[in-house]
Amino acid sequence: MWEFWVRSLNASTIFTVAALGEIIGQRAGILNVGVEGVMLFGATISFMVAKTTGSYLLGFLAGIAVGALIGLLHAFFSITLGGDQVVNGMGIWILGFGLTAYIGYPFTGPLGLPRIPTIAGLSPFFIFSVLLAVLMWFFLFKTNMGLKLRSVGENPSVAEVSGINVARTRYLSVIFSGMLMGLAGSIYALDYNPVWNYNFLMGWGFIALALVFFAMWNPLILLGGSILFGVLWQVSLNPEALLPNVFSRYIWRTFPFVITIAVLVMMSTRWFSSRWGAAKPEALGLPYEKD
Amino acid sequence: MKLAGYTLKFEKKENFTGVEAAVISVLAILFALFLVGIIFLQAGVDPAMGYYEIFSYAFLNPFGLPLTINRAIFLLLCTCAFIVPMRAGLWNIGMAGQLYLGALSAFAVAFAFGARSDAELPAGVVLPLMVLGSAVGGAAAGAIPGLLKGKFNTNEIVVTMMLNFIMFWLVSHMIKEGGPFMGSGGEGEGYRLPASLQPQPNLGVPFTFWFAIGLTVLLHVLFAKTRIGYQIRAFGLNPAAARYAGVSPFKISLLVFILGGLIAGLAGYHYFGTVPGLFKIPKNYGDFGDLAFYGIICGLISQGNPLAAIPLAFLFGGLTSGGRFVQGKLQLGFGIDYAMLGVLMIILVAFQFFFRYRIVLKKDKER
Repeated sequence: MWEFWVRSLNASTIFTVAALGEIIGQRAGILNVGVEGVMLFGATISFMVAKTTGSYLLGFLAGIAVGALIGLLHAFFSITLGGDQVVNGMGIWILGFGLTAYIGYPFTGPLGLPRIPTIAGLSPFFIFSVLLAVLMWFFLFKTNMGLKLRSVGENPSVAEVSGINVARTRYLSVIFSGMLMGLAGSIYALDYNPVWNYNFLMGWGFIALALVFFAMWNPLILLGGSILFGVLWQVSLNPEALLPNVFSRYIWRTFPFVITIAVLVMMSTRWFSSRWGAAKPEALGLPYEKD
Repeated sequence: MKLAGYTLKFEKKENFTGVEAAVISVLAILFALFLVGIIFLQAGVDPAMGYYEIFSYAFLNPFGLPLTINRAIFLLLCTCAFIVPMRAGLWNIGMAGQLYLGALSAFAVAFAFGARSDAELPAGVVLPLMVLGSAVGGAAAGAIPGLLKGKFNTNEIVVTMMLNFIMFWLVSHMIKEGGPFMGSGGEGEGYRLPASLQPQPNLGVPFTFWFAIGLTVLLHVLFAKTRIGYQIRAFGLNPAAARYAGVSPFKISLLVFILGGLIAGLAGYHYFGTVPGLFKIPKNYGDFGDLAFYGIICGLISQGNPLAAIPLAFLFGGLTSGGRFVQGKLQLGFGIDYAMLGVLMIILVAFQFFFRYRIVLKKDKER
């Protein structure tokens, strides 16, 4: 049983880090629906670097760096060129999906390095992700800089007038957001499941995206949501522990996705949004042009 | 930007002509193919030769051409499945899930008639029902995001993507490890349709070709001439204004997703039910779900115009079938067609800029 909970928490780590990245971008008003693509880049590049050099550190750094680069690309498309952020995010996702399938293919297979040490099976990244969530919450809601960042996502024109550089704030947020998504991919590929296969994330990035709505853009609620989904994921992989012989193992695999849809629907009902819905950044997804 | 006495400026434009759109699209495709050429170079293959091999296999080779045609039909249907919601401003990225459910439904119809035994079946009855089944299955998969979007305004991107995974595993459940549709070989494939349910291509094209072309023309008429098509477009351009004009967001969301899903369902039947050598849901059915994402690219390039999607479907059908071929022939790494998918997509996104701005070059006044 311990094994099951530990695997669940380790899985939740990846959801948390990726979704924290998405939260900071969305809080600044930039929607990135291509989380999965950035994660695939982070995972693949970090895996390639770690396997070639034999160094975990270089692997993680490369994953974060490529995440920053893709974040920069999304920022350029969405802020400087002012395009439709959904289209841009889709572009990032399909670029990640297609290109990593090609460049990673020669690296198919296990990583072949000694596993990253754990605390009785618990990945050190879990602790890191909890700290990160708390720090992010503190930053967003208790610091002056966090307030500025949120104001850019709520009402950029007013923020601009009050002396905040909207474009620069958004650029920095989106780049940092890409770094976290790249890191989330790296944690998956180097720690959680160090075996490369094409398109191996199988929807984790999209679940992370859904978790942001679920968490109402709040890092602490997110932490709870991630752990819930980590558990769901483990149940879907090892249903025997919970309900043996009810469904085939393939049906169990649909479990987290079905729950994601159910949760999203619940979140978008009028009953829910009239009580809790005010959290959505007002200017999310809207291009902003300085007059 | 100033360059040697000229000023380069980007000016916002409100609309663009068909010719402008075509020129921008062609330039984007050419630029993307140029970048993929760099991938060829990096893999030690002369890009000119690589493209020559791709196009000659795809369009001239007696083995390659039927493959291209089959993929083109598939892509055309996937593109139409993407275009219909796109015209209403909605994103259907669930073509993969819809075509899986469409294929499963078609095979369920055949299964119900006893297709697993090698009995002689009345094709005149079963085949139309299989086509109908695939349409209903796809439409059902499409109805879910449509209903949720219309009723609760649930994000359709996440829902369609989640359904892709759900349907992916559902297919596995049906065809693998003792699933009801498992083939006799026990290799994780679906059962093979009996000979009486294997429609043979006519003049080198399967009958689904005429379906796809007919549907495309119908869609064009729908958007250009009918009231409901006008409502869909109005909703896509400005949902708030359309609502004031009496267009029901619920009706439009549901309609476009049912229609899109229906078309994607047909794509599932087309590939697994009419392509010679297949006539079953293969082990690698996931590859066809991946291929369906080319529908997004065709849809974006064609700017939602169904007729423009026809040549694009042939181009990308050829590029992917030829890409698979040169991979083996020139010993390129696996997945050159995937790399092409990614590069094309991001270049298209970059080129969207030129739909919104025009470049103006002005000679500076002499001082």
